[in-house]
Amino acid sequence: MSRMLVVAGKGGVGKTTVTAAMARASADLGLRVLVVTLNSRQGLSELLGGSATDGSDYEGTTILSGLGPKKTGSILLRSLTASDALEDYLGTQGLARLAKRLVSTGVVDVVASAAPGIDDLLVLGKLKHLVGLTGPDGDHDLIIVDGPAAGHAMSFLQSPAAMAKTISGGPLHSQSNEVLAMLHDPDKCRVIMVTLPETTPVNELIETTALLTETVGVHFGPVVINGVDQAPEITALVAAGRLPEGELGDAARYRASRCAMHAHEVERVNQLVATRSISLPHIASAGLSAGDIKTLAQALSVELSAQS
Amino acid sequence: MSKKNFRDVISTSRIVVCCGSGGVGKTTTAAALAMQAAEIGRRVVLITIDPAKRLADALGLSELSNEPSRVEHECSGELWAMMLDARATFDEVIRQQSRDKQQEQAILTNPFYSNIASRLSGSQEYMAAEKLYELFNDDRFDLVIVDTPPTREALDFLEAPQKLMNFLDHRVYRWLVMPARGGLRVLNFAAQPILKTIGRVIGADVLADAINFFQAFDGIEEGFRQRALAVQTLLKSTDSKYVVVASAHHDTIREAIFFTDELARVGTPVTGLIINRLQPKFGKGSATSSTTAARKATQDGDTDLAALHSNLAHVRRIVQAEEATLKPLLDSVGSALVVRLYQRATDVHDLDAIADLGRDLVASTPTR
Repeated sequence: MSRMLVVAGKGGVGKTTVTAAMARASADLGLRVLVVTLNSRQGLSELLGGSATDGSDYEGTTILSGLGPKKTGSILLRSLTASDALEDYLGTQGLARLAKRLVSTGVVDVVASAAPGIDDLLVLGKLKHLVGLTGPDGDHDLIIVDGPAAGHAMSFLQSPAAMAKTISGGPLHSQSNEVLAMLHDPDKCRVIMVTLPETTPVNELIETTALLTETVGVHFGPVVINGVDQAPEITALVAAGRLPEGELGDAARYRASRCAMHAHEVERVNQLVATRSISLPHIASAGLSAGDIKTLAQALSVELSAQS
Repeated sequence: MSKKNFRDVISTSRIVVCCGSGGVGKTTTAAALAMQAAEIGRRVVLITIDPAKRLADALGLSELSNEPSRVEHECSGELWAMMLDARATFDEVIRQQSRDKQQEQAILTNPFYSNIASRLSGSQEYMAAEKLYELFNDDRFDLVIVDTPPTREALDFLEAPQKLMNFLDHRVYRWLVMPARGGLRVLNFAAQPILKTIGRVIGADVLADAINFFQAFDGIEEGFRQRALAVQTLLKSTDSKYVVVASAHHDTIREAIFFTDELARVGTPVTGLIINRLQPKFGKGSATSSTTAARKATQDGDTDLAALHSNLAHVRRIVQAEEATLKPLLDSVGSALVVRLYQRATDVHDLDAIADLGRDLVASTPTR
């Protein structure tokens, strides 16, 4: 298993939901999980059933503990922004005093414009540092990163390769190479792509995985297909053609057509993407509760153990 | 004046900005509104950013461009569309603002400029707003519809001009242009402690590019600032109508609420809310009544009928769940128009399907 999983996908595919479900499934196995959010206001704490306000705490907040067969499983949630990472980085360069001032005047924006991707690189550098602290004797067993939102995942993961080219020497050049080495090591880091069983999201998934393999050389964990509906009984009834008129028949035909579309898209993912896929069921509830996340976590564990 | 439905919005507005998080069908919805507007006789231009390939193909857009092109579509008005090329738009602004060819070239060929034009946070959003301003003032069109970039924060679009102004006003920027004004040599200037520090972090060559850029830029930042201010004024004027597109997923709803609250706060409340891809309703009964019917059918030994009732209960539970998810957003949009669009059997990606969606959209009677 990898030390770190980066959950990525376009907006609206349920990336945060999957992050929460994976964290829960792993903690239920007894692992000490660190969840890192790169974007506040995601409601991760709420989804996991914690009472803490969302990951604004830089040091992290324990959301759940005492999980799993031996009560060793826990979930710690923390946020990580480019400003945090820059401050940390300058600290390690012996510039701690200056760091605070630079960050408070918003210099990150200017620095990030001077060397695009530096903000992403610094965040990845900090993640690499955290990965170094995982393991049996370390602080955590597994890190799960709720990756950057819509459209940004590509440039985020491509930043170290781009930076290594832009900057020819110095500490940032070596930082880029170290982060790249981590991204290339499947024992340290894998990317979990999340998608929906619909045409456009699946097309985008196929493009993104191909591009990330080619330009960054990251390794992938299973693709998670979120919200897959299955209703074999209804599909059979519709196929047999014995349906009553009115709402009963209409609802059955609608459901069967959705299920067929979902099955078709799952098949397409399995055909066209090299890694295996996991289908998560569609959940019919208002918002998602911690209970729903538990259900998804169980579905995830079952699928994972069936595949391994 | 308040609008009765989306036909009113596209008949009378001069700018419609479609916002919302990624994956909600924002581009398709913007295209559907544009087609309807052209059908009722308006000369409409649609600015899209990074549309899905099939949608771009449907609109006849094969590449990024700086200029709209006419879409072949039978209508009494005109339909134009463009896929925004943020970099080319930025280059164009530099050309307009530069005092001479030499300054223009010094900026355009600078690596730091390249970075800003493509990567400065908010530059794509700013260029979308800039293009909106330009086309708003273009006599060929009487309605501009913008599909905003898929941002981390939907509000980036509205704040982009301010961000650019902040960037130009930044202390670091001031430090960097100072030597040109004071006649100091760049080399000496780069030896200042703060710049030495930045140079150590980002590399000396990168820093030198930055300093060169800011010095080349000197003298035109005022023009830039004026323009950004004009763009911002337009975005916040009553000419700009904001339409939020959302789907019934709790994460997109969360984003949409944040966005509508911010719009209200800055004094440009949302004109309309389009909820996309809802599951259709079947009949008037509740999920509970279907569950009861399913139980009865099971007792009667009719397993097929029981399955059909259970299925109806399932789809009705989804409808109820979606409505409950939407509730906080509906509460936050005040008196805005609210239109619900339902899931279609296939993806909407050709002109006929988009036109069909558009007819549903403008014909719908707003509901709560």
